[in-house]
This record gives sequence, C-alpha cells and structure tokens, in this order.
Amino acid sequence: MENPEQLGKYLESIALESVDLDAESISSMGKILNALSSIMSEFQDELPPAFLQLIKGLEGYVERLSLGEVQDPDPVKQATSCMQGLYRSLLRGEEIAQAEAAQVLQILGGSDKAKALSPQANEQAQERHGASQQRASDTLTANIRHHELSAEDIELLQDFVGEALDSLSTIEIGLIDLEQNPEDSEIINSIFRPFHTIKGVSGFLNLTKINRLSHISENLLDKARGGEIAIDGRITDVILESVDVLKQLIEAVQDGIETGNVLEGNINTDNVVNKIQDILDKSEEIGSKPLGEILVQSGVANPKDVDKALEAQKQEPNKKLGEVLIQEGSVKPQAVASALRAQKTFGVNRKAELQVKVDTRKLDTLVDMTGELVIAQSMLRQNHAIVSSSDQKLFQTLSQLNQITSTLQKAAMSMRMVPIKHTFQKMVRLVRDLAKGSGKEVTLSMSGEDTEIDRNVVDELYEPMVHMVRNAVDHGIESPDERIARGKPSQGTLELRAYHQSGNIVIEIRDDGKGLDKEGILEKAKEKGLIEQNPSLTDSEIYNLIFQPGFSTAKEITDISGRGVGMDVVKKSIEKLRGRVEIDSNPGKGCTFTIHLPLTLAIIDGMVVRVGKERYIIPTLSILESLKPNKEKYSSVHGRGELIKVRDSLIPLVRFETVFNTQTETKDPWEGLVVAVEHDGRQFCLLVDEVIGKEEVVIKNLGSSIMQVKGLAGGAILGDGRVALILDIGGITELASIAA
Amino acid sequence: MDLNMKVLVVDDFATMRRIVKGVLKELGFKNVIEAENGKAALSELKKEEIGLVISDWNMPEMTGIDLLKAVRANDQYKELPFIMVTAEGQKNNVIEAVKAGVTNYIVKPFTPETLRQKLEAVFN
Repeated sequence: MENPEQLGKYLESIALESVDLDAESISSMGKILNALSSIMSEFQDELPPAFLQLIKGLEGYVERLSLGEVQDPDPVKQATSCMQGLYRSLLRGEEIAQAEAAQVLQILGGSDKAKALSPQANEQAQERHGASQQRASDTLTANIRHHELSAEDIELLQDFVGEALDSLSTIEIGLIDLEQNPEDSEIINSIFRPFHTIKGVSGFLNLTKINRLSHISENLLDKARGGEIAIDGRITDVILESVDVLKQLIEAVQDGIETGNVLEGNINTDNVVNKIQDILDKSEEIGSKPLGEILVQSGVANPKDVDKALEAQKQEPNKKLGEVLIQEGSVKPQAVASALRAQKTFGVNRKAELQVKVDTRKLDTLVDMTGELVIAQSMLRQNHAIVSSSDQKLFQTLSQLNQITSTLQKAAMSMRMVPIKHTFQKMVRLVRDLAKGSGKEVTLSMSGEDTEIDRNVVDELYEPMVHMVRNAVDHGIESPDERIARGKPSQGTLELRAYHQSGNIVIEIRDDGKGLDKEGILEKAKEKGLIEQNPSLTDSEIYNLIFQPGFSTAKEITDISGRGVGMDVVKKSIEKLRGRVEIDSNPGKGCTFTIHLPLTLAIIDGMVVRVGKERYIIPTLSILESLKPNKEKYSSVHGRGELIKVRDSLIPLVRFETVFNTQTETKDPWEGLVVAVEHDGRQFCLLVDEVIGKEEVVIKNLGSSIMQVKGLAGGAILGDGRVALILDIGGITELASIAA
Repeated sequence: MDLNMKVLVVDDFATMRRIVKGVLKELGFKNVIEAENGKAALSELKKEEIGLVISDWNMPEMTGIDLLKAVRANDQYKELPFIMVTAEGQKNNVIEAVKAGVTNYIVKPFTPETLRQKLEAVFN
C-alpha cells in the first residue's frame, strides 16, 4: 500500500465519530460517509475484496441510519472495529480474518432488512429460521471453528445439506424454464426463494462462502424480479454457475460431516461472485434508463455531446459517462448529479398500480368531449358580455375553469397512452427466431420500455418495427465468422430504445452490423432507374433511397425479409402516423433507424392560414418554409404551370381555387404569402393570404358525408371558436397531380 | 438552547416561512430572520450573527444544498447548526445533505413536535 498512514487516519476518524453515535448524530454520519468515500476513492485498488465489501456495507448502513430506516448505531461500531482489525492485519502482512468480516457484513445487511420489515414480518422471519436453529447456531458457530461437532450440530448440518441440495435442483429446473420465459415472475420467484433459504440457513451455520454466494445470487434475482435487470442468457449462465459452485461447497460440507471436520473446502467462489457483482454494478450504472438519455431529455446536454462522450468512453471503459461529459465541459456537474438522481428514482417509482379496463372508444369520446370543453371554454372567455364585464370574481372563476379544463384534457389524453413495452417484447422472440434461422448470434437490448405512446399508434407501429428489426438482423448484422474477421465480437447487438424528445416519441433501432452499403444502394437505384447515372447525392440522400418503392438490397433473399416490399412500406406506415424515419449509418460499425412520432394522433401541430374568408390548417410536419416571393422568383412555364423559385429549385404553385374552389384575395404570389410543403418527396407551394399562427388543434372527424373529400384530413375548432379544415398534403399532391 | 439566538429561515415560499417562523415563535425563539433563497441567506449571514439555519432544499437562484455547501466551505461557519428541510421520498437528497455536513434534517410535511425534537437533537 502506498500510503497506509492515510488509511489509518481515515479509520481513526471514523472510529472517533462512531463512539457517541446515535440516531440523531447526523453530522457524525456525514463525516463517516465522507471518510468512507475517501477510502474508496484512494484505496480501492489496494484493498482486499473483503475490506471493500465491508466499506460498502458500512456506507449503506450509515446511509440507512441517516435516513432513519434503521436506528441501531452498534453495527457501525462493530464494523469500525472490524475494519481496524483488518487494517492491522494488512499492515503486518497477515491473512485477514475473512470470517469475521463476513459476519459483520451480515449484521450490516441483516439488521437493515429486519428493521425495514414490519414487526410482524420480523417475527415471521425469525419463526421461519426456527427458534431452535437460532439457539443451536450460537453454540454451533463456536464448535465449527474448533471443528468439533456434537450430535445435535451434525443433525442440523445434515438437514441443511439435504435441503440445500434439493433446493439447488429446484433452481436448476426453474432456470431452464426461465430461459424459455424470461418475463415470468412466477418462475423467478421459484428460483429466488430457495436461494433465500440457503442464504438464511448458511448464515446461521456460519458457512460464509455459501452464505456470500447465495446472498449475491439472491440480489441478482431480486433485481431481475423487480424488473431492473432483464433476464438473458448471460444471467441464467452465471446463476447456473453459482448453482454448480454451491453444489460443490455443500458436498464439501457433507464430506466434512462424515469426517467430523466441517469446512467448505478450498473451492474458489471469488470468480463467480465477481461475475455477479459485475452484472449488478453495471445494472446500477445503466439503471432503468441510460444517463445520456436523461440528460438529453431534460435538455441539459445535446445529443451530439453525449454521443461523443460515449465514443470517448469506449476508449476508457472505466470512466463513467457523467465524468466524461463533465471533463469535456459539455454538462455541468450539478446537472449530471441531478440526472443520476432521476435515474435512481426512475426504477424505484415503478410500482404496480391498480388498473381498470376501459373500452378505447369510451376514451376517444372522453378525449373528444374534453376537446370540446376546452373550445367552449375559450369561446366563453371571448364572449362579448364577459369581455366587457368588470366583475373580478367572474374572471377568477374563469381562470380556475381554464386550469381545470386543461388539466382534464391532459389527463384524458394520458389515458390513451400505453407503455411501448409490449411492442418491444414482441421483438424478443422475433430476433431470436431470426438469429437462429440465419445462423447469427444476436443479443437484443431494450431501454425506455416504459415510454408511453398513444394506443392507436402502438398497433400501427408493430408492422414497421417488425420490418426494421428483420432488416437489421438479416442485412445489418453479419454472420459470426464475418464479424470475427472484422474484429468484432461474434455476437451482434440490436438495441431498441424509446424516449420522449420535444413533444415527440423517438424510437431507435440500432444494430452494430455492417451498416448500409452505399455503393450497393447506388447501383441498385441506377439499375431500377430511380436515379440518374451520375448523381451527386449526399450520404443521407443515398440512404433515403432505400425508402423508395420497390427497393431491396439483399443479395440473397431469405425467407423473411428481402421480399421486395422493402422499406417504402415502413416509411408509408410511419408517415400515416404523422411521423418520420431517419437513417444514420456508419460503414462497418452499424446502422440506426430513428422513428419520430407525435405523442398522440388526436392532436396536430399546425399552421393556421387564411384563404379569403376561410381558415385552413397546414400540418407543421409537412411545411418546408413560408416565404414572400418577389416578382422575379415567379415564373409561368407553358405545360408546367406556375412555378416559384425556392432556394434554387423551382417548385410548382398550387392555388386553392384549383383544388377547393376557395378564392384567395391576392392573386399575385408576390402580393400574398407562399407556403412550401412536401409530401413523400413531392414539393409544392400553396398561395395564401395570411399566416395567422401556429396552433395545436384537436382533430375532428368530418363525418361520413364529407370524409371522402380528397385533400382534407379533418376539421378543427380554433381557439377563437372558428372552424378550420386541416389539409391533407398527400391528397393535394394527387389532386394537383404534382410529380416527384 | 439559547432562545435569543438569531434563527435564519430560508424558503422561497412565504407561507412556508411563516409556518416555520410560527413554530419557532411557539417554541420561544424571539429572533427569527427570513431569506427567500440561498443567495439572500448568504448575505443575511454576512450581516447578522446567526445561530441556526433552517433551509428548504428546492429554491430558485440558489438551492438549499448549494447554500449548505457554501456555508460549510467558509471556516467561520464550519460548526453552524444547519437543518435542511427536504420533501418526502428524497432519500438521495438526504444522503447528499448528510455528506455535505448538514446538522440534521426534517422531512416535509412535519409537525411542530418534530421540529422541536430536531432542535433538541441539534443543541444537545
């Protein structure tokens, strides 16, 4: 150790603070916590695992003590004197007393659980372990140390061995079931319970290795049970490994009973314990939601910085993302701290809530009616009699009404939201089957499964997602041999992420395969006559070619994807949901499809324009820009109609009188305003009299009689109570026969 | 407990300050000063000789935890009794405050009795 005196000083200061410690000595607890974290940061690499565990255990205990979750300060004193003992052994170069450390650790962890439970539960726990066992164990503990066993002790141990071996075979069977149904909490429970029993009994019998291993395995399962860790092959593997080691340990105990010399033998448990700890640590780090995501969502970090930091993190895997971000100065330490807090609470707050099943049509009506209420309310506010009133009480009541209606509207909207989890989960099976069928190795990781999305959107989203996931596995991720040849791990990763971003839901499908083949796409596009021979296209334009109808790059057609009905279908379905798809590809590294969707289909973000006496709403998603062209920008070409030059390209002008028979007041584009819109790669300009403003409106059905009218997506009631029609830009392209 | 000492109550909500002040008066404290955020509290600390700070966590301009850190960073106030008021369920906040050297903390909502107990714990 480089600086043992410093460690001694820290321990001394802890001992000093712990002497008079009671449940209200908050500032002493603070000093102890700070000393412990100093030890962790300065001596982490130099201390043996038993010491580190004790520090972590004590830290956790003092935290609980300061939170008032536990009241008894004695364990702190015991742990402190134990640590001082370990420290002295270290200084002298002696073997450290593992058993004592493990025992203290048990006290630190144990009293937490006992106290946290209600008194009854506490009693029950005692009963479960058996009062006689408790009594016997005290004498037994002493006896085992001396390797002398009384007949009673032997009986107890034999019972334990028999019971434990039975439990372990139950666990094995359960694990195999679990591999088939990773989400089944009943199965996880059936594995969890025997581990719990083994842990409890081995603790009393002072079988420290068995206790430690069963304890940490239990922790892992507990997290899986709580949904913090997803069960995958890695987890079942490590638990199976733990079962094997436990079996060896218990068999050693059995041998010991026969020879009268009970020891757990020289079986190495560190390996598997470390593996489990590793998974647990990582799960804490990642939590339920990646830190970067929380930072981006809360608007303190920009996605580019986070991506850059994630890259940098790959070079230095020991660094945490937060550290990298702070170092690069892209995020303030405080913001990272609060994001980490948010991350922690995220997992905690997820409790099962009581639910009621409601017909979605009823919900739709509710949303509709609240929409009406909002409008009626705003009409009321603008009513002449009210505006001219001077009654203060009236205005107060009105603003109260305003608040209530908008809260009600939000609540009604949120009722139609469901977590995207189910859609994601359907992909698990799909990926597995696809990987098996194509002889590839793929792990699927998911995050943000709790992100909520409109029920109506979820159903529509399933098909396109299936398509993209299929594509990623079939064309993105390489075969294991190919991956190894490229220096990648043989197992490919497919990541599904969902999160909210500026009023949209973003879904990412990311694979670490070969990325999109730019040359291949170009070649294919030329072959299909989609582009000219020597086009000058940006990367993103090239990637977007795969969304063109009839495009498929798969060299060989597998039975699942590559049937020629490629990505164009995906794009169409997403656009139908008023969303968009983006592609980001990195040759050799992988490809990401990002889907942006509106939170709900019931509301649309639109630009309100005036055409003569009418109001129309243009969906903001379709708008490229609005401009007031000068006379030179306007040209009329025989056979191509009227054109407006927008940023160097000539875009056809569409007049409302040709599509809807509504007259604009201004006939010359340079007198009025022009809104450039796009649908499916087709662009055109609409001539309007005035742009009134942006508004979020509730979409109303037009009713069966005029539902079939092309070019209209629906109607809406504006804030001032007037009715406006929502334009369907796709329909207008057809009406005006605009070519791509 | 010296009932003549100056107690600084820091909270951005006037109502909350009034409540805490009321409880303190009930307990017999005669000198209660108010500040509406951490910054204002720091300048009060400079002006007056304060014997106890009771601060809310969440405030604009400067939060309670930042105030605590600033206070503890000054050698003059190393031992100044500081009680933090946190919202229910904010375990991480409590731990952060404990590490930053808070003397005690109270979880909202609290009764006058709790405040009295905490004050006794602080001054014993």
